[in-house]
Amino acid sequence: MQRRTALQMLAALAFFGPRAGTKLLAQGEKKEAPPLPTLKVGDMAPDFSLRDQTFKNMVSLHDFKGKKNVALAFYIFAFTGG
Amino acid sequence: MQAFQANLKKLEAADTQVLGVSMDSPFSNAAWAEKINVTFPLLSDWGGDVTKQYGLYDEKRKIGRRVNFLIDKDGKIAEIQLDNDAIDPTELVTSCERRKLKS
Repeated sequence: MQRRTALQMLAALAFFGPRAGTKLLAQGEKKEAPPLPTLKVGDMAPDFSLRDQTFKNMVSLHDFKGKKNVALAFYIFAFTGG
Repeated sequence: MQAFQANLKKLEAADTQVLGVSMDSPFSNAAWAEKINVTFPLLSDWGGDVTKQYGLYDEKRKIGRRVNFLIDKDGKIAEIQLDNDAIDPTELVTSCERRKLKS
């Protein structure tokens, strides 16, 4: 009998679980979605000068103008994925 | 950033300079670059001025955001990849290679 109850509960969880999870995630997304970046494709990229990890160099966006494309990868914190 | 390092040769061959930017200090960037063997510049936007200028600063959570901008040789934004799309640079590599062919 106990085993049957457990099975029923498991079945209920399998059925409702994913839905509840999706709903929760959707709500979380709605609340926490950060605003879209203000820059659009075709805009001029704002220039900057920042220090690199060697402390020796300041790297500026204008250094590459007319020479190279720049893949600018903003990341949230060091020691995270991506 | 590891994924960018793995694709660095391809990106460089397509005339593309990779720059990582975060609100970390140069100290933590140095430690991290060493740990994951990153050879391209990791720039420290300490204080978040550039992150704000690019519209990526989350006021509520006081953090930046994972975004890639591909900036062309004229200084214009050619592509933007947000959040999870920004982690895998494959698309970026393809588009840089395409650009290289065009020019």
